[in-house]
Amino acid sequence: MAEMQRSMGDGQPETGLSRRDILRGGVRGTLLAGLGYLAGILTMRGRKHEWVWQIDPYKCIACDGCAKNCVLEVSAVKCVHTYPMCGYCDLCTGFFDPQPNALNTGAENQLCPTGAIVREFIEDPYFAYHIEKDICIGCGKCVKGCTAFGNGSLHLQIEHDRCVDCNECRIAVRCPADAVVRVPSERPYLIKGKPPAT
Amino acid sequence: MTPPPGRSLDRRSGRTSGRGAPVVAALACLAGVTALGIVLVLRRDGILGRGGNRPVGEFSYDVAALFEVDPALVLCEEAARFDTGLREPRGIAVSRAGIVAVVGDEALRAFDGTGASLAEASLAAAPRCVAEGSDGTFLVGFKGHVEVHTAGTWTRAAVWESLGEKAFLVSIAASPRWVYVADAGQRVVWRCEPSGKPAGTLGKKDDASGIPGFVLPSPHLDVAVAPDGLVRIANPGRHRIEAYAPEGHLELSWGKPTSAIEGFAGCCNPCNFALLPDGSFVTCEKGIPRVKIYDPRGAFVGVVAGAKEFAEGQLALAGDWRQGSGGGLDVAVDAAGRILVLDPIARVVKVFVRKRSARLDGRDATLDG
Repeated sequence: MAEMQRSMGDGQPETGLSRRDILRGGVRGTLLAGLGYLAGILTMRGRKHEWVWQIDPYKCIACDGCAKNCVLEVSAVKCVHTYPMCGYCDLCTGFFDPQPNALNTGAENQLCPTGAIVREFIEDPYFAYHIEKDICIGCGKCVKGCTAFGNGSLHLQIEHDRCVDCNECRIAVRCPADAVVRVPSERPYLIKGKPPAT
Repeated sequence: MTPPPGRSLDRRSGRTSGRGAPVVAALACLAGVTALGIVLVLRRDGILGRGGNRPVGEFSYDVAALFEVDPALVLCEEAARFDTGLREPRGIAVSRAGIVAVVGDEALRAFDGTGASLAEASLAAAPRCVAEGSDGTFLVGFKGHVEVHTAGTWTRAAVWESLGEKAFLVSIAASPRWVYVADAGQRVVWRCEPSGKPAGTLGKKDDASGIPGFVLPSPHLDVAVAPDGLVRIANPGRHRIEAYAPEGHLELSWGKPTSAIEGFAGCCNPCNFALLPDGSFVTCEKGIPRVKIYDPRGAFVGVVAGAKEFAEGQLALAGDWRQGSGGGLDVAVDAAGRILVLDPIARVVKVFVRKRSARLDGRDATLDG
């Protein structure tokens, strides 16, 4: 009875919660909030954009700086071909020298200094042009020829399997057209004819 | 006896000599010269702004030289120019009465021979080409159909049936009997009744008839009716102009691909052309924007205007050569032989006449000016 009186009359709240219960609940809540915060941080970090360098083909003037300024011995910039824009021309102004002796694959007729463009006969008078990326040095001669006198289907892009993603891209620093820009790593290419990365 | 370091022993005299000293001095000089050379090369690289030992301009492609024209070949001079007032002018035509019609945006604008504005007609869609019909009306080509507009009142008189979903009309020419409508989308030239009803096609690829078909890397396919009655059609991907009988037989062709002045440069030229009263051709090229004259048989005669005369060329020479496929001069010739060139980037019409000093095929060319 005395025990019962003590329990009823010694200032205990009527809710039936002891101080220890409140403390225990508080600790649990704090831990849960911390876990939630941690999970949120991890999720946000997973979603955070990584940024990579890329060439905006509509700004590029194919000055040959990409071939010479990349820190890699062979530039990470390569020619890319947007086939839907290509005219499949016999006289391809990206493939041929301005004054070719003949429209054939003779080295003296080719514009590319490394012979990195493969000309493939499709049907008279159409030819397809493919880029040998291992040979391409990203000089942009073909890009200039194609864009100035053709449809502009050839353009330069930084290949991300080669690019070492320098904090300060040496090509970007020296680009006279400010054509080297940062793009999100989820959409690392700016291909002509496709919507730009957002 | 052991000689001191740096000196050798003369076995006969037993004296030491200093033969090693000149060698050391020579080596030191060589090292000095080499170091001086390295410093000079580095300083030169620094002065020239070179990033290293890679040659300057090794991969550069100088297109400016291709835009040069020998002044001796230029037969014409600009006599006048006027603003079209259109944001995107697309096509030009001159009527037998001397009315200059320019289409673009969503309008047809008419000017007199001096460039004074006569009228403007609003159109329901973006026009792509214009020509004078045999009855004095103006035929305006849209993506898929043709509309007939009456000169003077500038109201729409008729709308032709669509030539198909894939149609992309880029040029029109009329003879007294037929109207020829060039369709770059379907790579044919339609031969239509004056009422607009299609009666056949010209230029469709047909190996049995020896017709190679039109090659159109860009949407340019110009057509004109020559004084000899044959229909001249530009086949830009093959760099030539072809002549067809109205029924569709391919009669002849001329033209060759080259960036040299006497041929057609780039992927696909001539992009447009017109006929002078004597049947000579005035051709327009894009990429290297230049306007030239060929005689009725296709022999190069001379240059009307070189690349520097047009906005596309001026941009290219200023370093922005990216307009290549976006240009495309159009041309018309009036009854007096004046050559009217529509520069779509500058949005102006430039009027060229023969220079007084220019002689053409041995006769005084001022007669045409």
